[in-house]
Amino acid sequence: MASSTAGATERRGIPGAQFVEDVETYLTQSGLDVNSALSFLQERLQQYRVVEMKLLAQQRDLQAKIPDIEKCLDVVSTLQSKKGTGEALIADFEIAEGIYSRASIDESDSVCLWLGANVMLEYSCEEATALLQKNLENAKASLEVLIADLQFLRDQVTITQVTVARIYNWDVHQRRLRQATGAAKDL
Amino acid sequence: MQQQQAGGSETEVTWGDQQNINQFGRLNNRFHDLEEEIKAAKESNENLEDAGNELILTDEEVVRFQIGEVFAHVPRDEVETRIEEMKELTTKNLERLEQEKVSILSQMAELKKVLYAKFGDSINLEED
Repeated sequence: MASSTAGATERRGIPGAQFVEDVETYLTQSGLDVNSALSFLQERLQQYRVVEMKLLAQQRDLQAKIPDIEKCLDVVSTLQSKKGTGEALIADFEIAEGIYSRASIDESDSVCLWLGANVMLEYSCEEATALLQKNLENAKASLEVLIADLQFLRDQVTITQVTVARIYNWDVHQRRLRQATGAAKDL
Repeated sequence: MQQQQAGGSETEVTWGDQQNINQFGRLNNRFHDLEEEIKAAKESNENLEDAGNELILTDEEVVRFQIGEVFAHVPRDEVETRIEEMKELTTKNLERLEQEKVSILSQMAELKKVLYAKFGDSINLEED
């Protein structure tokens, strides 16, 4: 699940968040003061948010596409099961919003698939099933990759949030120490 | 989920702790997705249940059965078997989702124990 190395670098263009072992060392090494470190991290969080939105939109698209393909497969298999029975398939279909008409679909060896970009192609039922099946598998595979991307992204967000909280706490702690020593001197 | 904290004293956070927090975040996300999926699965199950009941009451021999975008005219007994099959599928799916939810909740409870033991009040793993 979670990657085992602290230096998970990047995944599909998403930069990995650096895990900070020790706040003080991190600040000296990166040459940043508390405020610029915090604003750098906040900016990073903002960027992660943008990517998250993009990925979520892609996820929604795919999640809508999968049932669509399944529906198409269902229709093709219905047509195929009618083959050889000699009966026509009677179906009510929508010709316009809320208006239905009746169609009689004669036994047929082929269906036309809408391929997009104003192109429709005639396939035999077997070929159509194979093509739709392949599309379905591709869509499922991309969804899996996408979910993994989202998980990676959210891990980076969590790491960054924890780092922000720790830098902030460290700063508060330092101020208290300075105040305490300052007060001691005044005495 | 929040990890913001305002305590003064710093508990050292190791990479292992960070991984536990990440894992908890993932589980929490999955938990919310699951809730949605379970809701949808229950709904489709109920719909199929209703359809099955209506089918028993009707005396029509041929019913209109939605396949894709169209309503095909299908003999009643064939629709009955198809609905039964679909119901079986959604019931199985629902069971699988419920099981995953149980497993996720127990993993989250485990991680909560570990993380609260180390960080105490400095970490907040509860929903708002």
